[in-house]
Amino acid sequence: MTAFGPIAFLSPLFLFALAALPVIWWLIRTNPPAPRRITFPAIRLLFGLAQHEETTARTPIWLLIARMLLAALIIVALARPVMNPERVLAGSGPLVLVVDNGWAAAPRWNDRRTAMNGLIDRAERAGRGVVLMPTAAPADGGAPEAVLLPPGDAKEKAGTLVPVPWPVDRMAALAALDALTLDGSVNVVWLSDGLADDDDTAFAEALQHRGQLTVIIDPPGESARLLEIDRSTGLELAVIVTRPTAGAAEERWLRATDPEGQIVTRVSAVFEPESRTARAVIDLPPQRRNDIAQLTLEGASGSGSVILIDNRWRRRPVGLVSGLTQEKAQALLSDLYYLERAIAPYHEVSQGEIDTLLAAELSVLILADVGQLTLGEQRAIENWVRAGGVLIRFAGPRLAERDDRLLPTALRRGERALGGALSWAAPARIAPFDADSPFNGLEIPPDVVVNRQVLAEPSIELAERTWARLADGTPLITGKREEDGWIVLVHTTANTDWSNLALSGLYVEMLRRLVDLASGAGVGTGDEDLPPVAILDGFGRLGAPDPGVQPVAAADWPGLEAGPAHPPGYYGREGERRAFNLTDGIDGMEPLGPLPAGVSQRSFDGTGEIDLMPWFLLAAMILILADGIVSLMLRGLIRARAGAMTAGLLLGLFALPAGDGWAQSDPFSPDALAKRAALETRLAYVLTGIPQVDDVSLAGLRGLGTVLTRRTSVEPATPMGVDIETDELSVFPLLYWPVTAGQPAPSDAAVARLNNYLRNGGMIVFDTRENDPGRIGTVGRDPVVLLRRLVRGLDIRPLTPVPAEHVLTKSFYLLQDFPGRWRGGNVWVEEDPQVNDGVSAVVVGGHDWAGAWAVDERGAPMFAVVPGGEQQRETAFRFGVNLVMYAMTGNYKADQVHIPAIMERLGL
Amino acid sequence: MTPADTILEHEAERLAGQLPPLMVAAERVAMTVAQGIHGRRRIGQGETFWQFRRYEFGDSVQRVDWRQSAKADPVYVRETEWEAAQSVWLWVDRSPSMAFRSASGLPSKGERAAVLGLALATLLMRGGERVALLDDDRPPGGGSARLHRMAEILGRPMDGAPSLPEVPLLPRHANVVLLSDWLAPADVIQRLIRQFASNAVGGHIVQILDPAEEAFPFEGRIRFDGPESEGELLVRRGQSMKAPYQQALSQHIDAIESAVRSVGWSMTRHRTDAPAETALLAAYAAIGVDRGDLS
Repeated sequence: MTAFGPIAFLSPLFLFALAALPVIWWLIRTNPPAPRRITFPAIRLLFGLAQHEETTARTPIWLLIARMLLAALIIVALARPVMNPERVLAGSGPLVLVVDNGWAAAPRWNDRRTAMNGLIDRAERAGRGVVLMPTAAPADGGAPEAVLLPPGDAKEKAGTLVPVPWPVDRMAALAALDALTLDGSVNVVWLSDGLADDDDTAFAEALQHRGQLTVIIDPPGESARLLEIDRSTGLELAVIVTRPTAGAAEERWLRATDPEGQIVTRVSAVFEPESRTARAVIDLPPQRRNDIAQLTLEGASGSGSVILIDNRWRRRPVGLVSGLTQEKAQALLSDLYYLERAIAPYHEVSQGEIDTLLAAELSVLILADVGQLTLGEQRAIENWVRAGGVLIRFAGPRLAERDDRLLPTALRRGERALGGALSWAAPARIAPFDADSPFNGLEIPPDVVVNRQVLAEPSIELAERTWARLADGTPLITGKREEDGWIVLVHTTANTDWSNLALSGLYVEMLRRLVDLASGAGVGTGDEDLPPVAILDGFGRLGAPDPGVQPVAAADWPGLEAGPAHPPGYYGREGERRAFNLTDGIDGMEPLGPLPAGVSQRSFDGTGEIDLMPWFLLAAMILILADGIVSLMLRGLIRARAGAMTAGLLLGLFALPAGDGWAQSDPFSPDALAKRAALETRLAYVLTGIPQVDDVSLAGLRGLGTVLTRRTSVEPATPMGVDIETDELSVFPLLYWPVTAGQPAPSDAAVARLNNYLRNGGMIVFDTRENDPGRIGTVGRDPVVLLRRLVRGLDIRPLTPVPAEHVLTKSFYLLQDFPGRWRGGNVWVEEDPQVNDGVSAVVVGGHDWAGAWAVDERGAPMFAVVPGGEQQRETAFRFGVNLVMYAMTGNYKADQVHIPAIMERLGL
Repeated sequence: MTPADTILEHEAERLAGQLPPLMVAAERVAMTVAQGIHGRRRIGQGETFWQFRRYEFGDSVQRVDWRQSAKADPVYVRETEWEAAQSVWLWVDRSPSMAFRSASGLPSKGERAAVLGLALATLLMRGGERVALLDDDRPPGGGSARLHRMAEILGRPMDGAPSLPEVPLLPRHANVVLLSDWLAPADVIQRLIRQFASNAVGGHIVQILDPAEEAFPFEGRIRFDGPESEGELLVRRGQSMKAPYQQALSQHIDAIESAVRSVGWSMTRHRTDAPAETALLAAYAAIGVDRGDLS
């Protein structure tokens, strides 16, 4: 070590490399930067030009100096400069480093590690050996050990030393030290966690006996805190925070998090002056309180500042299976849609096939109108139910036809209709629940009615298995216990087909109660061992258990002691686990007793030596970056301004604030529009951004609306313009879309929304509004190109001219052609629509229909119709009526072609 | 036809669609007479009104001018002027130097030249003229099939294409339109123009340059390569070459322009960062006059 004032060099030999700087200088100076290559057509003009000789072929002097500085910085950094080097250790023997690494050492572990490293560095410089002695039992369950190590190895070991989540065992460590014979006068340094154990004074005396003892200890305000659930009160969730010594008033914050680590709430615990404990109450509604999985003391680490909370079947995994195949396409007709909406807020919902669902963790399986199950599925479900699963089935047309034995009661074939066109009976209401029904206490809304149900075969057990019944006494929900599990049948559908139950709050509440049936299995009821599931480490983080962690016998649970075999954490099985907290396994905490005389005591905040190497290297790195930018600028690869920007950018990266945008859009406008639009049937047109076109669209749809109101049962309200980028589309049966040149192509998000709209029964009428009817379908003409641009990405099947027998020709009026302001040309529809009952999702034409329909405020037509005059306008209106009928009623008129055959078969 | 041809053709068609049909000013009518729209000062098939004459037996009723007939007792028939077409030979430089572009957002000179050439051809054909490519062996013609063929030839990359056209035997008083960057040595270009002109061929030259070729925005040490193996040159300080280069370029252009002027041709210049429409408009103004000037 060579010292120059406050700075010393640990590897001074490297400084000789500074002598090589002149050579580097010469090398850099004679080596100009490489030129860029550019292919340039006008090179002939350059050949004749004389070049002015410039000095820039050589590196500029200031850049040379910067590069020399760079080389010097690296050399100096390699020489390991340190500031404020610590003094050499006294005595002649090895350094004994006693480190408390129990749970209480975690909060300021970095300080401890720095202190350890500093001490080992000093020993290294003095050429002493080091005995590194942690006082807590190691994780592998053995005894604490003490070995004399060379300083390099000791430093490595100190680097891997981490606090453990159990208390220290200082006397065991002392025994290990006693087994070691050390030469010379020993330096003993004890990095204490500041907590007492049974014989801390004896421990300190024993250490002092071996040589000079220094104790490094936390200042009283900084030592560990201990969390404990207050079990003295029954109802509320309260936590007691303990500190080792009473002191000034202090406020600490507790954070409650859910299993995913999301913060549920924060509460504060206030220590009164001269008080060692503080109490915090977590006051939350029960549902929110159920989400809490962990309580953590903010600003502290270690297993003592964490409380785990049992999480027994709280959010249960629920699997949904439907008998329908096309679930995704039509949300409101789907069984699972209602089930998922009802259950997802409370439990984990997943959909899929029965075997894949059962393969994963599952507590409730809901089969919505699944008919007969295969034998393999029946067996799998039966085994799962017997092991504690809850099977909930909903009836439906399929179940009514084919059932199986996985039902609480035998069923009659077929369903019973109540009310409807062919029945005198009125839809039935739900009778009040029995006192022993699981639904007891739920309020039944008066407007819930059941139109259809499946009927149970009468049997002896039927009455006791019936949990809910209709007003006429027939069972609505039946359930039976099957060993540990349940089989429940709801005798109506999960969607709105047979009953409006799915639209009521009662549906949600009933499903919650049914899913809660799965909570039956408890933990620790049996006498089996509870294996570790997740274990806290010394810093209070949950992780996978070490192999050394032993299962806990259920009988040992009370009075279990925290240690290497049983660290704090979760024990049990995944899903039914039990929390073991540090405070369950130790006896509270006391401050370290008085130390013997002659012991020097200091805190961790000593003025340690500062290693300057990283700082020198950082300066060198910044110089390298700057040098790179400057070289690029010299070669003309970036301009001076761009260079300044790059440099600014690099600097900005260091100082990048963690600001996130206030990307908050006004949530009201689209919603408000959707609500307004949903209350009445409305025609809608796409806003093109061109006022003239939008005005015509509005006037046209208004005119068509008047005609519809006058002649048909469709009575649309005032038409609305929609912005496809932002507005909700699903409330409109029909979108009229005039194709204009100025309209930008829809964004990807809008395309996705339009596709969703089209898939779920929407219809878009594209009107290219062109004069020349022959243009449609001709490649390269403007309106078609525009149309292609607009519909790029839309899920539209191949188009065909409207065939002669198409529903559009007869959905209200019988029509042969579809004129608007112009006559002639084709109207195009999808050739073979796959979704929406075969209704074409788009209609494309160029007849400017809105122009023909357009009426002003007084109801007078706004535009002339050519060439057919008013007769053609009337046909245009009739087409509009047919179009709306087609959009709203679909293909049912297509059946009219079969009427003669039906009549004949009926003998009429 | 490849998609690239189609794109090129559409682009050219879009450009041409924005101008009225172009008519080459017929200084002297070519010997090849065909249907066109240059007035022949005779009765014939055409669109321009020539005279009224009395209805004679056998005239189609559709040719009766009812307005004129209503003014007087006899029935008048409208007669139109006989119009004839002009032949134009186009040449577009497709040599490697035309592939240059200084920024990724710009079209290369070659792309711009092809679009301009095709747009001009479209305009000329729409105006009733007959067009051929100088390096194609077909006689001049019109119609969309010919346009497609031209688009196909112009859109196809060509290795080792010459940077100057050969001078074929053209009919006297034919017209040529030559599109290139005209960066070959000035004396060669001058000789070429005189060769054309010696055959009494009228012509128009369009020079298409990249902005970097005018502004010379290069800085620092640069090794320049010629795209047509002209050699290479190491420039130590690009900034210092800017002024001499720009002077050399303007001298070069002056030399070409004087040659063009001396044979009675015209010349327009275009930079690829300007819209193609402006170049087309300039070429249009230089090559032809519209119908209003004739009547």
